[in-house]
Amino acid sequence: MTRRKWRSYLVTAVTFVLAMIWLMPLVFSVLMSLRPATEPINVGNIFFGSTLTLDNYHNAWQVAPWGRHYLNSLIFVFGTLIVQLVTITMAGYAFARLRFWGRDVLLGVLLLQLMIPTGVLLVQNFATVRTLGLFDTHWALMMPYWGSAFGVLMMRQTFRAVPFELEEAARSDGANWWQLIRHVYVPLSLPAYISFAIVSISSHWNEFLWPFIVTRSEDVRPLTAGLNKLFFTTEVGAQYGQLLAGTLIVIAPLVVLFVFFQRQFIESFASSGLK
Amino acid sequence: MPKTAFQRVFPYLLVLPTFVFVALFTLYPVTRTVTDSLYKPARRAADPSVFVFLENYADLFDSTHYLGARFVQILGNTFAFTLATVVFSVPLAFLFALLLNRQLRGTGFLRFAIFYPALLPLIGAASIWAFFYSDTIGLFNTILRGFGLTGVNWLGDPNVVLYAIVLLNIWKQSSYCMIFYLAGLQNIPRDIYEAAQLDGAGWFYQLRYMTVPLLRRTTLFVVLITVTYSFQTVEQLQVLNQGNPADRGNLLLYFIFQSIGERRNWGYVNAMTVVLVLLLLAFTLTNFLLFERRDDDKA
Repeated sequence: MTRRKWRSYLVTAVTFVLAMIWLMPLVFSVLMSLRPATEPINVGNIFFGSTLTLDNYHNAWQVAPWGRHYLNSLIFVFGTLIVQLVTITMAGYAFARLRFWGRDVLLGVLLLQLMIPTGVLLVQNFATVRTLGLFDTHWALMMPYWGSAFGVLMMRQTFRAVPFELEEAARSDGANWWQLIRHVYVPLSLPAYISFAIVSISSHWNEFLWPFIVTRSEDVRPLTAGLNKLFFTTEVGAQYGQLLAGTLIVIAPLVVLFVFFQRQFIESFASSGLK
Repeated sequence: MPKTAFQRVFPYLLVLPTFVFVALFTLYPVTRTVTDSLYKPARRAADPSVFVFLENYADLFDSTHYLGARFVQILGNTFAFTLATVVFSVPLAFLFALLLNRQLRGTGFLRFAIFYPALLPLIGAASIWAFFYSDTIGLFNTILRGFGLTGVNWLGDPNVVLYAIVLLNIWKQSSYCMIFYLAGLQNIPRDIYEAAQLDGAGWFYQLRYMTVPLLRRTTLFVVLITVTYSFQTVEQLQVLNQGNPADRGNLLLYFIFQSIGERRNWGYVNAMTVVLVLLLLAFTLTNFLLFERRDDDKA
């Protein structure tokens, strides 16, 4: 029994040490962001400066239009999600419950999209966006994600789990297809919708390369592109505190949401793996 | 009962919106990448491109060519980077999941500490690590100097830079993969462990012969997403080193991104994209066949 107890303590200790190491980047960016800019870290003094200050946040807030970037990120993320919810519901229902010629071929095409992430095709997609005259618009950010193989397959799986008797009962009550989806399938699939929303929102909130390529002006660029600019306009070295303050401004929303909705986040991410 | 015209068309109407965008941003670009990779742009922008069949590919693997000399090195880096990420993050993720799967006081905090990297935008994570790696005032070198050691030029030394980028990737990817192992562990029924304990099986036996085999599907999935993500690594390079020094710290998709601007590269960026897509497809399909087949064996 004592051996068991020792082992338990040991495992707990190992867990804490590893957790502390993984937490280090966050801890140090908070500490650095609160140090006076004139006091970079040095040997014997790596945690706190002579005083705590919010100057770095104040300065970081001045150098870029963060409010605008926040708004752009919100437009990008929710503009993507809202259209996705409609398209994946429609296609998910068709693949779950209807038979039609060519269905398997179309499913194969969806699998192809899963295997070739849209981001890899940036060379041609960039050309497409320019041809369509959408360069540097919110549309260019969102459109490639409006057809989501991942979402469609997820809803297909979810809808298939809805008892078919419910559909038959609703039909015999005279429900049309729209009422059927609206009042039978959607309410019974809310957990799947929430999972999809969390995964979609967090992946697009964090996305960098595509927004960076297809936008130029600050009126359209999301937070990640703003952060990139801050990084390259900051005098690296002297202004690390300011850079890290800016980084924290960008990453704060998701991290805070995660603190409050830990379970939902973890379950959503986990369910995105069950294929 | 024969279907009405509406009932015939209806399914296609439902899938149409999805496939408009899939066609425009996946099918069309895939096709166009392949065809464009067979052409070279003409010297004058006004002239039509010249069909050269596989010459662009030959150039890419020709070490005397201005891009080829770099491409082979970068392709090698990409493989090494991906392999190192998989080898370290997957076992770490498994370990984290094992540790977090127990009811400890402070589990919420521990889960936060280990999972939050997965939620950060890579561009933000890399900005933080840039502070760690900074040569003169970075955290790592400050600590090393505190122990009386000389600092390392993490991002400037050609022999170190790839390790530095891998380290950041492991930190982030192991956090993300941990989630799938945690879910996998929670799906294993408890009673099989109780039965094994009654039979006198020790913890190592249980781990080696029960937990690991039961999570095989999870492991395959986790390896798959880690490889896929690692092949697309861009943000770290953009923030930390822009592929420098001398391409020793460069990776494939970032190189494509760097080469996109010059008109003379148009055939090459498409050829490189084809190589990248083929690698992803080859890997995914192998993985897929591998675990589909094994599942048939079990049935």
